[in-house]
Amino acid sequence: MAHTIALAGNPNSGKTSLFNELTGSTQYVGNWPGVTVEKKEGHLKHDKRYLIVDLPGIYSLSPYTLEEVVTRDYLLDGRPDLIIDVVDSTNLERNLYLTTQLIETGIPVVIALNMMDITEKRGDVIDVLALSHSLGCPVVPTSAVTRDGLKELVRVALQMIEKAQSVAKTATFSKPVEYALGKIGAFLEGSVPPETLRWYAIKLFERDGKVLARLNLGETRLQEIETIILQVESETDDASEGLVTNDRYEYLSAITMRTHRQAKKKGNLSASDRIDRVVTNRWLALPLFFLLMWGIYYIAIQSVGDLFIGWIEWLFVDLIGANVALGLSMIGTSPWLTGLVVDGIIAGVGSVLTFVPQMMILFFFLSLMEDCGYMARVAFIMDRIFRKFGLSGKSFIPMLIGTGCSVPAIMASRTIENQRDRRMTVMLTPFIPCGAKLPVFALLVGAFFPNSAWIASSMYLVGIIAVILSGIVLKKTKAFAGDPAPFVMELPAYHMPRMKGVFIHMWERGKQFIKKAGTIIAVASAAIWILQSTSWSFQLVETQQSILASLGRLIAPLFVPLGFGTWEVAVATITGLLAKETIVATFGIVLGLGNVAEGDPNLLASIGTFFTPVSAYAFMVFTLFAAPCAAAIGATRREMQSARWTWAAILFQTGIAYAAALLVYQIGSLIF
Amino acid sequence: MPLTFVKVGESASIKMVLGKDETRRFLGSLGFTAGESVTVVSENGGNLILSIRDSRIALDRSMAQRIQV
Repeated sequence: MAHTIALAGNPNSGKTSLFNELTGSTQYVGNWPGVTVEKKEGHLKHDKRYLIVDLPGIYSLSPYTLEEVVTRDYLLDGRPDLIIDVVDSTNLERNLYLTTQLIETGIPVVIALNMMDITEKRGDVIDVLALSHSLGCPVVPTSAVTRDGLKELVRVALQMIEKAQSVAKTATFSKPVEYALGKIGAFLEGSVPPETLRWYAIKLFERDGKVLARLNLGETRLQEIETIILQVESETDDASEGLVTNDRYEYLSAITMRTHRQAKKKGNLSASDRIDRVVTNRWLALPLFFLLMWGIYYIAIQSVGDLFIGWIEWLFVDLIGANVALGLSMIGTSPWLTGLVVDGIIAGVGSVLTFVPQMMILFFFLSLMEDCGYMARVAFIMDRIFRKFGLSGKSFIPMLIGTGCSVPAIMASRTIENQRDRRMTVMLTPFIPCGAKLPVFALLVGAFFPNSAWIASSMYLVGIIAVILSGIVLKKTKAFAGDPAPFVMELPAYHMPRMKGVFIHMWERGKQFIKKAGTIIAVASAAIWILQSTSWSFQLVETQQSILASLGRLIAPLFVPLGFGTWEVAVATITGLLAKETIVATFGIVLGLGNVAEGDPNLLASIGTFFTPVSAYAFMVFTLFAAPCAAAIGATRREMQSARWTWAAILFQTGIAYAAALLVYQIGSLIF
Repeated sequence: MPLTFVKVGESASIKMVLGKDETRRFLGSLGFTAGESVTVVSENGGNLILSIRDSRIALDRSMAQRIQV
């Protein structure tokens, strides 16, 4: 029979790294609390009989956050055969707080005393044997990074599964609390499995609503329990839950006092703290951050990233495109099909993949910032500003990632605990210009504002203003009313980035974009190409008579008030819903220029017939805000977990797009 | 006095955490219990970075004001 091992531990204790090492998978590890919200599963390397489940990082088994509920329900209902409790040895007492609660569930526990390499480097000493003795469960020193102790951990874990019995010692509390637990425990006997009795008794003493609902004890029993709790509370002058927390920490202090010797005196500033003195300093924090971001964008977009664009265009147009065309004509393929494959699909996908290097460089630096621990500080610095218009500092990180691609950005909003804040972030993140919108801006700026580089940059400003104003306005609505959740966040200690992790992370984010190119964009490019070359009676026709043109004419009147009411632009707007990067390609196709890049001189010249400078700017604003691409809408659906909220987001975004473009065009026309 | 009165670099001992909501419980599980010593590492517009029980916790101003030292 298969056995299940659950990995549990504090956020950022190295659980996911350990999971990757044990299962041989490459889940992305973030130096950012709360990276794992869902549980992930994998088989133990070299022994498929053991299933390992990576649970979200939590500080406690209370029922207050999504992660805690996921973990708790899994432990209680899934009853894994063993818990490997990953304990960050550099932060022993706080991590053991969860350990004592895991032990109470009655499931056998093995402690992986992780990050021992750092503890040793600091000169701290932990008496592993004494610790194991005090807690009554095996303790194995490990380091997921150097892989020390992993074999031993697996050996001990499998041995424990054989025994199939918890031998660990539960925490002892102060006398009044123990008295109450004894009484409550007596009530519960027979109604819960004996090994979980203490856990349930403690939860009832803490007035845990979810457990109360689960047990269904009946009115009289609940009354009796409440009387016991009130008696203890009046005796000690403290709330029951606070009593348990305090007693637990007292119990642990006694243990760590015996087993843990620290080289550094408590209260002294560590190297990490000294970095924080500078980096999060009231005056220096923002200038430092903006300088860093400017440098990153300069490298990713301007200098190095720009270099790659020409290469990829050459690869797809001159190398792959030309040779496939040659090959297809040699085997006698009809020109129509050759056109579809070469001008439609290959050129379409190629035009998207040109941004991949820029995006990868951007994501590389963002991953680097995250892995070394700086990203968590950015959330802290930005909280002060974001809070003023109703968002938490944690909303800033998705928006930063959104300058690359909205899909991983929307996914990054998962770390925001408060549902209201999370929904708002998912809704507003696409307002930040992503990499795919840049070529659209480049095309129109090139055609209408060739000497004003600031026009393209102004899109970032417009996007940020829209986020701020939307934040303020949405907070006034019923669905979003109330202050953003209080900002409480553990900051990881700074450390040298681990390149393996940085690259995995960069790839995880960039992958989303490449996947999109291979699927949605390939299909969309083919569809647009077919629609623009055939009529309703499926005859090959000139673009003017095509299905695409007639569809465009149908919806074009909608865009007349915005200044771009021609069918060609209407078509580009629709294809923009699939992916913003197809807008440029659509212009190329409907103008009969084939699939061209945004810098093409013919395209720049012909596009002049569709817009005036004012309507061009209105079109840019519309593109910036309108419902993002199909992939981002899909991500929105996943994070919102509600069709209604997804539609609300799409309508809100498109509504803002229409209103903003209307304002720009109507007011702009009056002035210029 | 509230924790916001403590200067950067100084330590204080927690007397109590005011309030009765989720965040207070969350602070409790992070180790903010009566008698524990806490050091202010950095301050930014009222938001604080604290050192407590070997970890660094960032708090916004309104939360910091609820911690009495």
